[in-house]
Amino acid sequence: MRLRGAGAARRAGLAGLAGLLLLSSLVACSSSGGSGDDEPDSPDTLRVLAGSEVKDLVPLLEESGVKVKLSYTGTLDGAEQVAGGAVKGKYDAIWFSSNRYLSLIDGASAQLSTQTKIMASPVVLGLRASKASELGWNTKQVTWADITAAAAAKKFTFGMTNPASSNSGFSALVGVAAALSNTGDALDRQQIAAVEPKLKEFFSAQTLTAGSSGWLADAYPTANGVDGLINYESVLLAMNASGKLKEPLTIIYPSDGVVTADYPLTLLSSAATPKRALYAKLAAWLRTPATQQKIMTTTNRRPIIPDVRPDQRFGTRTLLELPFPNRRSAADELISAYLNEVRRPSRTVFVLDTSGSMEGERLDGLKRALTALTGGDTSASGTFARFRNRETVTLLPFNNAPQQSQTFTLPEGDSSPVLTQIRQYSDRLFASGGTAIFDSLRAAYEQTERTLKPDEFTSIVLMSDGENTDGSSYDDFASYYQTTPRNIRTFVVLFGDSNSEEMSKVATLTGGAAFDARSGSLASAFKEIRGYQ
Amino acid sequence: MKRWIGVGLALLLGGAVAAAIVLGNRGAKSGSGAQTTLTTLHGVIGSEKLPLFKDPTVAKLFAQHGLKVEVDTAGSRQIATTVNLKDYDFAFPSSTPAAQKIKGARPGTVYSPFYSPMAVATFQPIVELLAKAGLVADSGQGYQVLDMRKYLDLVAKGTRWDALPGNTTYPARKRILLTTTDIRTSNSAAMYLAMTSYVANGDDVVTSKDQASKVADALAPLFLDQGYSESSSEGPFEDYLALGMGKSPMIVAYEAQYVSHLIAQDGAIRPDMRLIYPQPTVLSKHTLIAFTPKANDVGRLLTSDPELVKLEARYGFRTADPKAFAAAAGKNAPAAVIDVVEPPAYDHLETLIDLVQRRYLSAPRS
Repeated sequence: MRLRGAGAARRAGLAGLAGLLLLSSLVACSSSGGSGDDEPDSPDTLRVLAGSEVKDLVPLLEESGVKVKLSYTGTLDGAEQVAGGAVKGKYDAIWFSSNRYLSLIDGASAQLSTQTKIMASPVVLGLRASKASELGWNTKQVTWADITAAAAAKKFTFGMTNPASSNSGFSALVGVAAALSNTGDALDRQQIAAVEPKLKEFFSAQTLTAGSSGWLADAYPTANGVDGLINYESVLLAMNASGKLKEPLTIIYPSDGVVTADYPLTLLSSAATPKRALYAKLAAWLRTPATQQKIMTTTNRRPIIPDVRPDQRFGTRTLLELPFPNRRSAADELISAYLNEVRRPSRTVFVLDTSGSMEGERLDGLKRALTALTGGDTSASGTFARFRNRETVTLLPFNNAPQQSQTFTLPEGDSSPVLTQIRQYSDRLFASGGTAIFDSLRAAYEQTERTLKPDEFTSIVLMSDGENTDGSSYDDFASYYQTTPRNIRTFVVLFGDSNSEEMSKVATLTGGAAFDARSGSLASAFKEIRGYQ
Repeated sequence: MKRWIGVGLALLLGGAVAAAIVLGNRGAKSGSGAQTTLTTLHGVIGSEKLPLFKDPTVAKLFAQHGLKVEVDTAGSRQIATTVNLKDYDFAFPSSTPAAQKIKGARPGTVYSPFYSPMAVATFQPIVELLAKAGLVADSGQGYQVLDMRKYLDLVAKGTRWDALPGNTTYPARKRILLTTTDIRTSNSAAMYLAMTSYVANGDDVVTSKDQASKVADALAPLFLDQGYSESSSEGPFEDYLALGMGKSPMIVAYEAQYVSHLIAQDGAIRPDMRLIYPQPTVLSKHTLIAFTPKANDVGRLLTSDPELVKLEARYGFRTADPKAFAAAAGKNAPAAVIDVVEPPAYDHLETLIDLVQRRYLSAPRS
């Protein structure tokens, strides 16, 4: 499949400027703690570490009279950074779609000062209208159990973000698990184990995954065989209004409940006094009736102040809120179960530049990045990014030509022996020779086509630190790609002196995304890509 | 041990009212001139008092006394533990026990300008369901009460909304639980624990460690089974106002949070919303601790400046002078909430909270 409109890869902090809504999120942004670190702080600018979900508020923020600089990062990754105090002095406030996971981390509350909820959006299911009416869900009340039964019977498919990368996926996972466990109170470890078979049925219908809610929405219109999305109500409403859908999405609000994002703009306790005043001004402005009205009409979020009533776009039904875990261990257990046991397995191919120019620090960076994915990164977000149980991982190094690839299949149970093998393999990588990017990418496609299994998430990662010097060209690859029967996405990593234009074209052509590791680390780019695999 | 307390008790709260009035007036002399440079004071307060501090008239009144008051919010119990008190001139938690905890971390002079009974903000269909189930009744004093004994029985049985007989208005497959804030950080949850501990202890205030550990088992599920809860009181109340019955059918709130909107006639309280009172309930005495000499002015003014006291009443707080509250509230709140019990003494309440808190850390039930 193809996605139109992806521009050159750009860094997270700059992405807020133009083409905000759907298009810009086609290019995923390398985050690693935000982009503003090198610029000096100015007392009249509020530096905010945010989830990409709030990007669509940037135009509105320009009317606030407060200079705001947003830098984006993933939900769990950001939560860990904040709780660990790593953002102290770099940011004055945070703005994620929810502080719930963050609040469960030990030490987090000491980092947070005033929290101000700005708006609300429940995570719900949007299904193309004809499918919804085929299932009768456009007229009758539907529970998560009904949806699970239809999923198990293969009556529909859906896309959802990775719960370890994005709050919408995480909220959906928590909600579905709470609803299916049918106990009426918050989940604990034992209940998670008990509900796993049901979760497997539910997620057997998930055929599209993503690292961010925006990318998921962009990928949907051209994705084959995906009947709908689990996403924020606001994103689904915006998709319906975009005119880009062949048929509108019917929004299904399960009668047994949802999990709602409330977007708390939160002051960090480390913020300096002038920043506190900026925060207070911005928070107060965001909650004025006029701003709330604008938030509702331009971003499809529900207003959070009672003076502004939600209009007819949100319907009138009472949305029950499902309980959210109150222990981090339960939340982590749920994510881990989803990744390693519940969801469809992944098949991933890493096409890795080991040309002469990689010698030294670059190759070391690559080895570190691969080691992190074999369990070397012991942070929670690192643990969730590692190669998963049941995953098939192929490493295909290249220089003048594609080299011998090596495939590893992780078992269902203890995967540590295989992870060790992958680490040992990557330790033996060495740099020499030229750079045959497109011959190697083509080899990866050919190999993947031969071994592909339809019920797996299949994707390719292409990392190069320079220009294509050997073998076929981008154009050759583009014509070859048109002949491939299946549309496998390639996620490209810009590194060193790579040709960002050509690499981005690969991402656009294949419906993937570009990640920039030129000024960050390969490890953090790889970690972010894992959300899409 | 149960005490029947009318508004008259409130007089006791004022403490040094007379002395404070004198001092307050003295400060007024230098005020009002636009040229005066204001002394900026920083406070950390329970979030439910933020609307009061954000009121421009309040700011003007402080400015007349040469003060500019800037506040951050935090859960009242969080103030004592995770807030860096050195950054602030005063703290303003929502109860005496919370204030005692803060005083342990940083001493200061204490002022108790106003109080608010703990109440339950809910909706008419929920009130009707609970009345049918025998949990809600009329107090005969112009307000409805939630029978906490029967409520605890219901929670012990794990009853869900859809299991209530004849429930067609709110058939949620959700446990019947009052929504509270996080007991580890917030005072309103601690006040809720105070009232329920009285009931669980056989209608008696918990006065020993032994009693505390006996009731903790019964009370912990009130908090833990809710799942995630927010750190400060304004969060759940905002959800109540904005997101309605689906998110939180009934929440523990300060009476003031609800009544202030009725007084303001701002339309936030919609026709199907109701405020009922737990039977028994407790009074939360909002207590200011002045760490720096200048912050004493804030405490004194809040306690005794007649204009400020009037405004406090308009924000729904029951002031030391009951006439101010009665004049502001009119028919929007009962003149007195009568079935009131004392919270356990500071150390026993801490023990109780600690016992519940430990259950968050311990291995999930098996």
